[in-house]
Amino acid sequence: MSSAGLVNITINGRQVQARPGQTVLQAAAEAGITIPALCNHPHLRPEGSCRVCVVEIEKQRSLQPACTFPVFEGMVVHTESEKAVESRRMALQMIFSERSHYCMFCPMSGSPQTTDCELQKLAYQYELDSWAYTPDYMKSWPVDASRKYFVMDHGRCILCRRCVRACAQIAANHTLGVYHRGARSMVCADDNVPFGESSCVSCGTCLQVCPTGALFDRRSVYMGHDAQTTRTPAVCAGCAVGCGIEAVIRDNHLLRIEGDWNAANCGLLCVTGRFETTEPRHDRILRPMVRRDGRFVETSWDEALNTVAARLRQYGLVAGLISPRMTSEALATFNIFCQEVLNTNEVALLYGDVPPSDLGARATLQDVAAADCIIVMGGDPLEEQKVVGYLVKRARDAEARVIVVNDRPTKLDRYAHVHLDLQDISHADQSPFERLRTTYHLRIEGVVKLKSAVEAARRPVVLYSAGLSTTVYAALRAMPDKVRFMPLIHGTNSAGAARLGLTARPVRGEALYLMAGDDMPPPDGSSPTAGRREIALPESRFTVVHAAWRSRWTEQADVVLPALTWTEKSGHFINMEGRTLEIKPLVSPPRSVQSDRETLLQLAVRMGCALSYQEITEIAGAVS
Amino acid sequence: MPGKPRIATDWLAGCAGCHMSLLDMDERLLDIAQAVELTSSPITDLKHPPEEGVDVGILEGCINNSATEQVARTMRARCRILVALGDCAVFGGVPTMRNSATCAQALRRAYVESESTVDGRVPDDPELARMQNARAVGQVVDVDINIPGCPPPPEAILYVLSELAAGRKPRLSGKLLDWH
Repeated sequence: MSSAGLVNITINGRQVQARPGQTVLQAAAEAGITIPALCNHPHLRPEGSCRVCVVEIEKQRSLQPACTFPVFEGMVVHTESEKAVESRRMALQMIFSERSHYCMFCPMSGSPQTTDCELQKLAYQYELDSWAYTPDYMKSWPVDASRKYFVMDHGRCILCRRCVRACAQIAANHTLGVYHRGARSMVCADDNVPFGESSCVSCGTCLQVCPTGALFDRRSVYMGHDAQTTRTPAVCAGCAVGCGIEAVIRDNHLLRIEGDWNAANCGLLCVTGRFETTEPRHDRILRPMVRRDGRFVETSWDEALNTVAARLRQYGLVAGLISPRMTSEALATFNIFCQEVLNTNEVALLYGDVPPSDLGARATLQDVAAADCIIVMGGDPLEEQKVVGYLVKRARDAEARVIVVNDRPTKLDRYAHVHLDLQDISHADQSPFERLRTTYHLRIEGVVKLKSAVEAARRPVVLYSAGLSTTVYAALRAMPDKVRFMPLIHGTNSAGAARLGLTARPVRGEALYLMAGDDMPPPDGSSPTAGRREIALPESRFTVVHAAWRSRWTEQADVVLPALTWTEKSGHFINMEGRTLEIKPLVSPPRSVQSDRETLLQLAVRMGCALSYQEITEIAGAVS
Repeated sequence: MPGKPRIATDWLAGCAGCHMSLLDMDERLLDIAQAVELTSSPITDLKHPPEEGVDVGILEGCINNSATEQVARTMRARCRILVALGDCAVFGGVPTMRNSATCAQALRRAYVESESTVDGRVPDDPELARMQNARAVGQVVDVDINIPGCPPPPEAILYVLSELAAGRKPRLSGKLLDWH
């Protein structure tokens, strides 16, 4: 071994230095040498099942899979020797001999330049011009379309088990498995039930790693090859986790969202972020609308803004409500607009409780994934901040202790090693602050359990929600310094709003300006969850709704102004880690829709109290 | 080989698209005509490969009934080198879609149950070819050269014919190998 602790190996005649413990495939990849592989995926643990990555290693009796074989000092590797290539072609032919890989029937199929199928790409690369072993022409394979957003065609499955590993290692959901053995093996969910009836949470990680067309996205599968699209790194606006996404865009259309492997969420997304946000909708508000004789009439921006300005001036007290899905810049502008132009302090968030942020060092998403003890104090991350919930499950798979403290059942309960009733500590003994330490340390059995778990842990993380008693927060503050804290925040940018002093509280006013943006009210009749304790709209005589989509909010409005959606905005969000995330426009908005800030500025002018761009820019600067 | 290599083509269950691709060689057809002798093809006056045989036989389409099987066997018997041209000949192609049903089911669906049919019946004239499952040419007779593609690019056909004319075994790669 060299002095630097590196291993010297030779690949295709080139001297390469590798780190001990690396596989041949990893060492080669770092040196810029591509070894073809199918079952291997850089973000999954290697399995060595497809035999496509076999290489010739001198002094080894047989060819070895590069994806699982560790490097050793003096190793000499030939990746494209005649023997390796012949074996690789054989492996590919064997894969084509199973199932029904009729490329012409598959939407992933393309030319060597355009194909989205890794199997077809390799077949081209290794010059397969026909089948050596003709597959069974008469056999048909099941297609499972029981999930809403993506489909599994077993005929195109090559049993690489990437999906099975992604489900276990990345999503920590363990839904997928394989039943039968050998050539009869089939990917299955749970005890071989349809995917739609299984424990699958539709996070779509399996879809993202599938090398062939076996798993495909219903919406975007026929919308073009990857070669025709661009991929833009972006931030999901679904909740306060702020997952890194890759937006797949073609001709100003967002086709599909994938998880960004390089972001803190390491490729993982939830059903909302990956699928629900790209669901096609037909209720976009494209032009301003003014209610006349009980019906909405489309008008020009000028007319709508004049109407709003004139009517708002008539009322003494105007209330302002804004969705936490707005950027910090939009929140700041709205806040100033309400205070300076509408001259009101009745301005609040529609919903979005933010717990105190001064409990201790802030945890990152990586801290959660790498924690060895996780205390979930209130909240239900597996339901409300799903990716954080998945990371808790992942940490649990890695032997982390999970303690759930709550006074209601949560989805995380079945993964908890210890479940404590929140009553135990929220109402523990007397509330005076001075006695809390004693309470926390000694009195309650549950508190003792918490304390010992935290003391035994090296990397403890506490996830905590809003709405807990001051006693609980005080107890958390008293935890040792090694504990890291992550607030479970509802509403994408509630943290950004909190910095501006905007919170969810009831407001009153004769008139109401509701800045909904692309937010939607929860479906009618659904019981309000703790995550979305929406404040009731005040009884007002005149209502302006500034929204991207038609909803029961806009139905109540007197004037509706079109707003941008998250894919069209720029600005910043602050997530649960306390990080400021930059939002860039992914697509351009419809021509008739102007930016939300521009609308507010124009309205300010019409109300005789112009806000200068400079002012706004300064605010925005202060925010970010 | 003495003189120009002699070539015959024929088609089975195909759409003639591969022969169109052959014609898509445009002015390069003149070069090919210099290098080889086309004895017969569905797009020339002489349709059937000569009994004395040819050097290269080219088949488009898959085998899907007793008639196409006979055409394939005749070509195989009369040529030294058999080329499967296009996805249908190489893999079976679009006609294999009906293999998920039995022949009887497929015939009933087409002649009796189809929405536009009234009082339909499955044709049973003994002179008609008997339907079989759709298969690649290589499933029935030995194939020497495969040119996959739907259709194969004219350049691939040109390359294969030029290589054969020069007495070499062609090996498709890069842009010439495109069978999506």
